[in-house]
Amino acid sequence: MMPAPTPLLPSGRLPALKTKDNGTISKMEQIITHLRKQKYNADYDLSAAQGADTLAFVSLLEEKLLPVLIHTFWVDAKNYVEHTRKWYAETIPFPLNFFLPNCMHKQHLERLQLLWGDGYMEDEEKLEKELYRDARECLTLLSQRLGSQKFFFGDSPASLDAFVFSRLAPLLKAKLPNGKLQQHLKSLQNLCNYCTSILSLYFPWDGGEHPGSAPRAAGTDEAEEDPHKRRNQLLSVLVGLVAMLGYAFLSGIVSIQRGGAGPGARQPIAMQEEEEEEEE
Amino acid sequence: MSLVAEAFVTQLAAAEPWPENAALYQQLKEEQILLSDNASSLAVQAFLQMCNLPVRVVCRANAEYMSPSGKVPFIHVGNQVVSELGPIVQFVKAKGHSLSDGLDEVQKAEMKAYMELVNNMLLTAELYLQWCDDVTVEEITHPRYGSPYPWPLNRILSYQKQWEVRRKMKAIGWAGKTLQQVLEDVDQCCQALSQRLGTQPYFFNKQPTELDALVFGHLFTILTTQLTTDELSEKVKHYSNLTAFCRRIEQQYFEGNDKESSSTAAARSAKKSLLR
Repeated sequence: MMPAPTPLLPSGRLPALKTKDNGTISKMEQIITHLRKQKYNADYDLSAAQGADTLAFVSLLEEKLLPVLIHTFWVDAKNYVEHTRKWYAETIPFPLNFFLPNCMHKQHLERLQLLWGDGYMEDEEKLEKELYRDARECLTLLSQRLGSQKFFFGDSPASLDAFVFSRLAPLLKAKLPNGKLQQHLKSLQNLCNYCTSILSLYFPWDGGEHPGSAPRAAGTDEAEEDPHKRRNQLLSVLVGLVAMLGYAFLSGIVSIQRGGAGPGARQPIAMQEEEEEEEE
Repeated sequence: MSLVAEAFVTQLAAAEPWPENAALYQQLKEEQILLSDNASSLAVQAFLQMCNLPVRVVCRANAEYMSPSGKVPFIHVGNQVVSELGPIVQFVKAKGHSLSDGLDEVQKAEMKAYMELVNNMLLTAELYLQWCDDVTVEEITHPRYGSPYPWPLNRILSYQKQWEVRRKMKAIGWAGKTLQQVLEDVDQCCQALSQRLGTQPYFFNKQPTELDALVFGHLFTILTTQLTTDELSEKVKHYSNLTAFCRRIEQQYFEGNDKESSSTAAARSAKKSLLR
């Protein structure tokens, strides 16, 4: 019973769980049912009413948030080209990286067209605005439901927490060029703290880079961009210096004299003195 | 599903009061309307009844094509047309009638979540049964859906709709489910609703909300519609507090005013709607 994602899956779906008895299980629901049969269950401590709430909030997320998340990552032109496609192309091996991301993009696009109907194509902008409004409302509702609790049902996590976290964390952490939805999530402080606390609790190897609370995580985001900035600044200063020195050598303002430093050092000073005298 | 005209409509709607001649459009009650559309229509009627807003039910064979979103029901109020429960709730709210104002923020979040539960599971299960279960498709859906149209057109329209719904099912991952799995989902959904309702008269205690209207619309239609088998209604009958809830709302909002115009006719028709 070793959980291990395989590179080539019969169903082509992730996540996948490789088991001894049942072969490879893909799809989240099936894996959870399988684990429940093995007596691994995050919901033992929940009352029946809380179980009902779990089902309701999972539905809310699936109906309102999930399609818009797919849109944000896969259909929104700027995000797809500058973030998602680049991201996937970097990890997929050479010949595939040219067309696999585009295939996935098309699949997602088709799925959204089916879900939202043909009107989506006709009046894309307006519908997008309304769907994004629904998604923002969904995030707000989650934030209100969470309140100041550590998890959705008090102090211990349940499967709803896993589900909500899995949807919110990528949105919170991705560096999207077009972050409409992301901005709204970042403004809901308790949801941000919720995500970072789950990250540091259950994913310490990932969370190590982003320890502590949300503001600090935002700080590290900037720090990650900094090295490039510094390097660029340093390079431009170097190029400028080389150009200036080159010009100085070529036009003979500065010359290198072998032999003692004495006369070489004296000459420019003498020149400066002459200039000053002329100005006076 | 959101609506293109919704934002525009809600802005305009606020000033005018509710007119006497408001109309709700749906397909023909006796021979055409299908389980899912009937459920949605009944939910909207229940909601308007709870708000105490009069509405006249108009049956049109082409209601589906008249609707701005392609979905039934839609209401025609003054010079505005709004379709589906979500936008209608917003529209009515803009006119100053709301059922959920008394709820606190957590309750509002829970109400929205449970409404999505009903849409996500009950409505999808109804669509699945109607368009993906071969026996039901042959015996009920195709004859009823195509009933107003002459021969070649009725088949063409039915197959077109069937293809569309099946593609949608594929998109949300329901295409691979068996009927038994779908019924299990319905059972799970009813169990959740039953748990939430408990012994209260309404989902949020004393006052009805749009969630009550939605749940009533779907459960009442499932309970009173004759399908090829009783499996679906048996799942609901298993939960006595849900059946009692349906009866209570029916008595309170649909039997009181016995005018032929709107409500009782709708409730009665629901009983017959898929009877052949």
